[in-house]
Amino acid sequence: MKAFHIFVAIVWFIPALFAQDAQPGPPPLGQSTQPAPPSRLWIVAGGASGTLRGHCQDCGQDFPFRHGGALVGNAGYRVNSRMDVGADVFWMQWKNESGRIRATAVNGVAQFRPWESKGFFVKGGAGMAFVRNWVQTMGPNPDDQKALSVMFGGGWEFKPTGPLGLQLFAMQHVGALGDLQTVAGPIGDVSANFWSLGAAIVIR
Amino acid sequence: MLITASIVNNHSERRARLLLYVKVGMSIRRRYGQFLQANPAVFRGRPACLFTILMVGGLLLGDARRSVAAQEIPIPAQETPILAAGTVIAAQETVGSAQGDQVPAVIAPDSGRACEGCPPRRVGTSLLQTTGINVIYEIANLVRGQVTAHITPKTWWENMQQGMVWDLDDFAVNQIGHPYQGNNYFNAGRANGLSFYESAAVTAFGSATWEFFGETNHASLNDFINTTLGGITLGEMFHRTGWLIRNTQATGKRRLWSEIGAMAVDPITGANRFASGDASRVTDKPSEFVPSSLSGVAAAGMLWRGTQASAFTAAPDPFLEVDAYYGDTNVGRSRTPYDAFFMRLRFGGGSSFSEARVRGRLYGQPLGKGGLEFLVLQTYNYQNNDAYATGSQAIDAGLGATRALSRRTNFWILGWGGLTVLGAVDSLPLGVTEKPEEGEPSAGQGVSEGPRFYDYGPGSDFGTLARLTRDGREFLLFNYIGRQIYSLDGVRANHFLQHTRVDVLLPLRGALGLGASAEYFHRRSYYQDAASTIRTYHYPQLRAYLTWGNR
Repeated sequence: MKAFHIFVAIVWFIPALFAQDAQPGPPPLGQSTQPAPPSRLWIVAGGASGTLRGHCQDCGQDFPFRHGGALVGNAGYRVNSRMDVGADVFWMQWKNESGRIRATAVNGVAQFRPWESKGFFVKGGAGMAFVRNWVQTMGPNPDDQKALSVMFGGGWEFKPTGPLGLQLFAMQHVGALGDLQTVAGPIGDVSANFWSLGAAIVIR
Repeated sequence: MLITASIVNNHSERRARLLLYVKVGMSIRRRYGQFLQANPAVFRGRPACLFTILMVGGLLLGDARRSVAAQEIPIPAQETPILAAGTVIAAQETVGSAQGDQVPAVIAPDSGRACEGCPPRRVGTSLLQTTGINVIYEIANLVRGQVTAHITPKTWWENMQQGMVWDLDDFAVNQIGHPYQGNNYFNAGRANGLSFYESAAVTAFGSATWEFFGETNHASLNDFINTTLGGITLGEMFHRTGWLIRNTQATGKRRLWSEIGAMAVDPITGANRFASGDASRVTDKPSEFVPSSLSGVAAAGMLWRGTQASAFTAAPDPFLEVDAYYGDTNVGRSRTPYDAFFMRLRFGGGSSFSEARVRGRLYGQPLGKGGLEFLVLQTYNYQNNDAYATGSQAIDAGLGATRALSRRTNFWILGWGGLTVLGAVDSLPLGVTEKPEEGEPSAGQGVSEGPRFYDYGPGSDFGTLARLTRDGREFLLFNYIGRQIYSLDGVRANHFLQHTRVDVLLPLRGALGLGASAEYFHRRSYYQDAASTIRTYHYPQLRAYLTWGNR
């Protein structure tokens, strides 16, 4: 427990230390060449390991964690050296004992790098999720549903200022479906949380 | 030589800073131990105590860092940094005149200030202060006796495992309380020199950490959205209002009271300015916070509202309403968020605080030479009275135009439409005609255990605001807002809300005027039950009031 407290204390101080380290230093003496203006394009593509947990307001039952692979992509516009905006796409498929579900979340997203010279970034956004479910074997024609989607996360980008980089990320996507259709009838006030850990290539 | 000196200085500063952290931490822990001995029943376990110490420590370390940083600002002339070969930037620049006991404005090149009146950029401090704000809210909840405030690492872990859900809190708590809390996070960013969009990220950080770690109940999706989007809207509005009040050229008592007045509106920026000494520096205002135009009006009067059953109530409700136009949304190329916004606050008129609307320009671009303006707007809406309750966070695209009808008369119009990220509307289940009386909550003050009588969902919105002005004073105002909310949580329905209002104003003498307004709120709900029930509600309103100001 004590070690855990020390760990938390260290984590607590990290932003302060970073803030100090992030002061931009003077460029090397004699360097006068101007770099080419950076591209405005922002593309991220990668994969992740996803974990899902469903929830419904009035079910009173515990939902297990389910796991699956996920695909992640961003495309957008580099506003400045610290901020990118665009669209975020997250796709994940999983199975439970009574059927298969695919979810695709499309969000408007903004990504920030608080310290320009460091790779640390946070991102967040909101949009829609599209859920295609075969729960309780609804038959060959699955039920398609739309949901409110919110996402947030963070990570570290290697080579954040170059045209090609690599990022490691942790994200949470939340999908609020309203009712989930099953053969037995709708289940009310269903929401799903997706946690993902992954890596992606960044093109700027 | 300079680089070596800088490294040596950095090492000694870090050592000094670490020593300071240890001393502050020890002091907090000692005092906290004394407090716990005197109040053994306050917390339920040792882990909670230790972690609260860490959180309070985080808050204070934010200040400790700043005090260390403040010592770094004066730079001896011989350490003037070399920014480019052969180019020496003056280390100090005195701006404005030192008056009385005021500190003259001195800008060090590495102070991180974007302008002489701007705060220094401190990302880490803004995050620590955001955490500190959470600690303050947490302690306030503990003092109020809320059971949800008894946080432990176990509740944190459970919340992270559960993920986000919808919560059951009261309408006012979720729709105005959380946005106000978010405004504090936002201004922790603004007060530390972060841009609007960076502060928006700080708001999301504060909101997420509060939801997962600030309460024992599960993280709430609606709170996260309301705190973040509402916090951004209210935060920038309060921040800019604070800068309107603040007189950075004044000295003495006048200066002090202007800083205190601004702090009442934007406490986080105010506290930072007093702590850093900026509250006494004579500087120019940051140009970003000087509006291109400013007009407003305060109205006080009586309001009669009708219901489904009767046209109008016999007893009117008194109200006080404040409208402000900061800048002109219909003019100019704008890339500075909220350099123009509209704000309305109403007290009374059916509840103690019955209306708040903020519509801020995020982006503005003139179209051609016809005087048309393309806009991207962010809006926050809150209405809560004894007849109905609605709230929303939306992002809209709009078109605005201004036309001179004569030498003295102008016509101003703005139309918009867009996405409601999250809307809320009061709603009773079918078959229930009246909201049941809520019993005394067992979970402590401010904690609702449900059921909740309003629906949440995304949707769309559109509207128009038109004004006729004569000699710069508004004499006719027309406002229409339509909103569709698709309920995802609550009673399953599609709600369509329409709100129309017309104001007529007559000047009396000087800034005084007389006004009357008619308002109509109409709602149609399409329930997704087996019978596809449709319900319609309508509430007319009349107002008569005295106005003061330049409307």
